[in-house]
Amino acid sequence: MILPHANPDPASTVRLPETAVSLRGVTKAFGSGNLTVHALRGIDLDLAAGQLVMLVGPSGCGKTTLVSVISGVLDADAGQCKLFGVDWKSLSGEQKTARRAELVGFVFQSFNLLAPLSAWQNVAVPLIIRGMSQAQAKGPACDALAAVGLGDRTEARPSQLSGGMQQRVAIARALVGKPRLLVCDEPTAALDAKTGQTVMDLILAASKRVDDQGRGCCVIVVTHDNRIFHYADRIEEMEDGRFKEAPADFIIAEARHHT
Amino acid sequence: MWRIAIAMLLGDKPKYLALVCGLAFAVLLISQQCAIFMGLLIRSTGPLQNVRQADLWVTDPAIKWISETRNLAESDLQRIRSVPGVLWAEPFFTGRAAADLPSGATRIVNLIGIDRTTMVGQPPLVTAGRLEDLRIEGGVLVEESSRAKLDNVSIGDTLKLNDKRAVVVGYCQAKPGFDSPAVVYTTFANAITFQPLGRNTVPYILVKVKPEVGVEAVRASINALPGVKALTWSELNAITIRFILIETGIGINFFITVLLGLVVGLAVSGAIFYQFTMENARAYAVLKAMGTKNWKLIGMVLIQAAWVGLIGYGIGVGLTGLFTLQSRRPGTELAALFPWQLLVGAFVGMIACISVGSFLSLQKVLRLEPGVVFK
Repeated sequence: MILPHANPDPASTVRLPETAVSLRGVTKAFGSGNLTVHALRGIDLDLAAGQLVMLVGPSGCGKTTLVSVISGVLDADAGQCKLFGVDWKSLSGEQKTARRAELVGFVFQSFNLLAPLSAWQNVAVPLIIRGMSQAQAKGPACDALAAVGLGDRTEARPSQLSGGMQQRVAIARALVGKPRLLVCDEPTAALDAKTGQTVMDLILAASKRVDDQGRGCCVIVVTHDNRIFHYADRIEEMEDGRFKEAPADFIIAEARHHT
Repeated sequence: MWRIAIAMLLGDKPKYLALVCGLAFAVLLISQQCAIFMGLLIRSTGPLQNVRQADLWVTDPAIKWISETRNLAESDLQRIRSVPGVLWAEPFFTGRAAADLPSGATRIVNLIGIDRTTMVGQPPLVTAGRLEDLRIEGGVLVEESSRAKLDNVSIGDTLKLNDKRAVVVGYCQAKPGFDSPAVVYTTFANAITFQPLGRNTVPYILVKVKPEVGVEAVRASINALPGVKALTWSELNAITIRFILIETGIGINFFITVLLGLVVGLAVSGAIFYQFTMENARAYAVLKAMGTKNWKLIGMVLIQAAWVGLIGYGIGVGLTGLFTLQSRRPGTELAALFPWQLLVGAFVGMIACISVGSFLSLQKVLRLEPGVVFK
């Protein structure tokens, strides 16, 4: 469902939305025989760059599997899954890994920061993966931390930061490489309301950002948190491995309530 | 990525220390036991190490090792001297004697007897007194480091060797033997007085070959004689080491200990390293999801393994080195030899230890599904 407040500031978004994600008939099952679980049952989906899309639905409905397939972390059993025009199935394992490093940023529910590394070292990881040295990556990493309001905590270890700060470090890490697809899995689940709002403000800003070539970033947020529904440009509700025709009324109400 | 790998390793200090200690202990066990083993082997050839003047050692063909041979007759000495190409041939005695000390205690000593005229077979260094004084009836030189074991006897003191009076005429330096760390030099004539051997009194005849004649030719000539066998220094060394290795059981016992060290190292380091990887599996999955290629993850695991391996190796061989230095102190009972080959061997052992842990860890890391980061 496209919400009425989608793209509230047209000047800051891409003028001709590029198709970021295109799924046709995607299926994914786990297990075999009587124990088979059909996580995705023929998903069709098109997402544009510059959109903040929320995937909602009950636990086990297939949201996480869907973002895993979209981000190339998991292979679909059948169907076509294209990210910026390239089908994941056409790529080798190494090519998929390289494409993830180039295009995808992740924000996880449990932050998944590397405990022994300082905040800036954590943020630098995607740049180091791309081949930068630690010294080269330090500047951009510190800039990214400053952008999320943690410019004064660059040397802090994750254990020295609050949950909200850790999630902001995770967002800085996800954004430092200027990804074209940002996948956020329950980014506010472990945070209080106020901190959750701060985190969502940052994620929203990421979805409105355009790069030097005028290209936007597609943001997918998997969430149960109805306090953040109003940030979405679009909400898709899943149930039993499929999209529902339209999100439940309460979801629309929540989204409009905060608008 | 290597900095991240090392940071991950150092981030879990208890496991890091356990890994390093486990590997250090394994390397220590492997290298120290090998060093002691080699030290004992070298010690078994001590009397041989002290004599370098002779080209050939002639003895009975039934010889087992340097300290266990059947004696030759004095007439054999004349036969050897008459072999063409022999420059000189002198008797050499090596055997054991019980020393009655001034304190009333008894100690077995390694008794070396050299020719009283030519002094062939003399100790490498006389540090006090005169070598010639050995010609005094019952005169003995006490090896310096042995003095402490012989109640710190001084020049002029007397002691009894096999109940016969001996007088200390000086001190010398020489390598100890396998039988006893206490070494006493005397003349051949004195030696067979201290330890009568019956009709046949000559354990060894030391032979120098004329420069213009080949050692092989003279050896062949001597070996053609009945009842004698001529050996080069290297051959006698090898016979002695082979005897100690096989007949005493030392070889198999040390081998078992070294094997245990290797097994302990393999098991401890392998288990801890694999556990460390398991606990960091999520971190590896995150890196994989973010686009880290497999070869970089392999590199990270190998760098971690190499890091703990090299530090453990350094500590292990360092401790063995200290032990070896201790064994060089005069008078010590410790026997250790630490040649460079042992460094290589311990390194190979360490590589074997970390290979198991690395292999198991790599299996885990490479099969890791990046999708677990969403769980």
